[in-house]
Amino acid sequence: MTARSSATWRDVAAPAQSRSAIVAGQASRGATADGGRTAASRKRARPALEAGLKRANFGDGPGLPTLLLLPQFLILLFFFFIPSLRALTQSVLLSDPFGTTVQFVWLDNFKALFANGEYRQSMWVTLQFTVGQNVLTLLVALVLAFATDHIVRGRSVYRTIILLPYAIAPAIAGILWAFLFNPAVGPLAQMLHALGIGWDPNLNPNHALILVVLTASWKHICYDYIFLVVGLLAVPVSLIEAAAVDGAGPIRRFVSIGLPMLGPTVFFLAVMNFIYGFFETFAIIDAVTRGGPAGATNILVYKVYVDGFVNLDLGSSAAQSVLLMSFALLCTLLQFRYFDRKVNYGV
Amino acid sequence: MKRAAFLAALFTVLALVSPAKAARIEVQWWHAMSGVLGDRLNEVVEKFNKSQDKYTVVAVAKGNYDEVTNGVIAAYRAKRPPEMVQIAERGYMTMLLSDAVVPVQDLLEKQGYKIDFADFIKPVASFWSYKGRMSALPFNSSTPIFWYNKDHFQKAGFDKPADTWQELEKQLYAIKAKGISECGTVLPGDFYWSLLENYSAINNQPYGTLANGFDGLGTEFVYNKTKVVSQVARLKKWLDDGIMQIAGQGFSPEQLFTSGRCSTFVNSTASHGNIERNATINWSATFLPHESDIDPPLNSTIGGGAIWVMKGHTPERYEAVAAFLNFIAQPETQVWWHGATGYVPATNRAYELARERGYYKDHPTREIAVLQLSRGTPNENSRGFRFGNFVQTMLAQRQEVEAVFAGQKQPQQAMDDAVKRGNEILRQFEKLNAGKNLDGDR
Repeated sequence: MTARSSATWRDVAAPAQSRSAIVAGQASRGATADGGRTAASRKRARPALEAGLKRANFGDGPGLPTLLLLPQFLILLFFFFIPSLRALTQSVLLSDPFGTTVQFVWLDNFKALFANGEYRQSMWVTLQFTVGQNVLTLLVALVLAFATDHIVRGRSVYRTIILLPYAIAPAIAGILWAFLFNPAVGPLAQMLHALGIGWDPNLNPNHALILVVLTASWKHICYDYIFLVVGLLAVPVSLIEAAAVDGAGPIRRFVSIGLPMLGPTVFFLAVMNFIYGFFETFAIIDAVTRGGPAGATNILVYKVYVDGFVNLDLGSSAAQSVLLMSFALLCTLLQFRYFDRKVNYGV
Repeated sequence: MKRAAFLAALFTVLALVSPAKAARIEVQWWHAMSGVLGDRLNEVVEKFNKSQDKYTVVAVAKGNYDEVTNGVIAAYRAKRPPEMVQIAERGYMTMLLSDAVVPVQDLLEKQGYKIDFADFIKPVASFWSYKGRMSALPFNSSTPIFWYNKDHFQKAGFDKPADTWQELEKQLYAIKAKGISECGTVLPGDFYWSLLENYSAINNQPYGTLANGFDGLGTEFVYNKTKVVSQVARLKKWLDDGIMQIAGQGFSPEQLFTSGRCSTFVNSTASHGNIERNATINWSATFLPHESDIDPPLNSTIGGGAIWVMKGHTPERYEAVAAFLNFIAQPETQVWWHGATGYVPATNRAYELARERGYYKDHPTREIAVLQLSRGTPNENSRGFRFGNFVQTMLAQRQEVEAVFAGQKQPQQAMDDAVKRGNEILRQFEKLNAGKNLDGDR
């Protein structure tokens, strides 16, 4: 992938973004030198680098780099590799929660999951939830980011207000939304009723799903917004001015210039939103719907929690978390495979 | 030099502290009581600690029941369990078969305490006993009762709620039709416990085969062939007709009752504290209704928690634990706890004591739970429930009932599916515990 993408942009322009710089560095390391630009001052030959790129020098020998990597490695070891290994082990066991009776059951836990209608429903719900959340979050964040450029007064106030939800704990946000849209007492639900909409997320599965998508998106819009605002700042003013001189209005300029140049940011955010939807939304579900009604909002990560910590079915819960991790991995890989090629990293 | 000074200081501190420490043996009790109930629990522990000078019990609030269970599991796996832990009724089989606990009756007898286990109120004792011996000490036992708004019933021309579901339904429809309240009742958060499980016991319906699981792990749910199905259909009808409301997330069902919005509420007797404090209405309570063709109705079953003793501690600590459990089982402690919280007294003697003192003259609604639990002779259908993974089967059932409420399934279909899912979960539990002899637990 790296080789291909580096070849594409090399025809386009000189790289300036840090992200493409890394790709370039990796790609050119094994390639033949571009000639003439080898670092003459150094004694040992270094791989050729693109103009304008820096290469960090840690001295010779593996000592210092290893030392610097160690903290990160330890964190990964204790919070990722060991738990993952434990999950993998647990997923092929049938065990009593106290661990006093343990049976090895091969892949029974996985087989049981795929034979289970509830699990398939959970997969389908997760897909709807993450896609809905992703699209909504990106769209709203884009509109807000676009508007930021056109606000003259109180821009910092505007930005602060948009960023506020990020500081609210997911469970609190969940309770807030659950209350606002509670059909018995919630003011927003009363408004919907006044409009003739029979809003009831306690009974209507679709309403419940809409409600959790709204809550999860609201909580994550600010994250996307920050990246999009920064991304828009990086769009060269000269291009926009040139377009303005040619008579393009603000919306046209945003759609034809800003948006394409935001490609890498949008792509990155789409991946992050999926990961957020997959893993970080369980507190919201717990506070807003508890996976109900009738499993309508029982997303995979919430099911992992309920089966493991409420039902104490550790084998099934572990099997589910292994599957969930694979889904997330697969999803991210697919996104890279299909969208990364369409994204233009050059400026 | 510095180190020597530090060590010297350390020893001085230890010398000062340790004699006091050594005098009392300290044991931990992890519990799930919060708010008012948590304060009351701390008072009980304080009473015990002051009553003698050999032992100290440290009560540690570990969150809700699920969190306590997870905490004790993690602690046990790390070989550092607390001496005692409070576990909800649904976790009975998991704890019993965990091989991680010491049966309390064994412990108390071994330590020479004479507790009259036959004096425990029957459905309470049978729930927490295995083969006639108590495995955990009932601490906070409750049962659902029927709360109602007196004014609403009087305005509609009724003295009190009817005894049968059929008559009660007419009353609730009348109250709604006359515009006295917005809703006749509100769906309790634990409706599966009060409106399905207890309903089944009271109306003498089998919930599972093998005497609701008392006769072995091979038990299967059968409530899809009993009145439970028509009960679900009734709830659905009430919901559709606006007789029953669902409070939903972000709001507690109790508030819909205590604020006077809904006329009745089926909930645990343990909510006495809350309702007394929060209600702005003229409330009262009575027995749960029964079906008109079931007469007399049977006893209801319990909910709440019991104290389990964990394995792996020293004899001195078990001494302390036994002393504390003995203290909890005393009628005086029981009566105090009963009055302070609304939970039922666990023994007949404690109940008699409360009655002799005229407690129920001032608090008539507090007697309902005891009378409802001890009426008649418990039979196979009303003794209680002995299902493994009972939380998991309950959540599956709740999901299916929600599907009925959402209009996705017919009651019969939903209960068939709930039973099918529940039985798969029961088979998993049976497989895990194969070889552990549970036959004939009477």
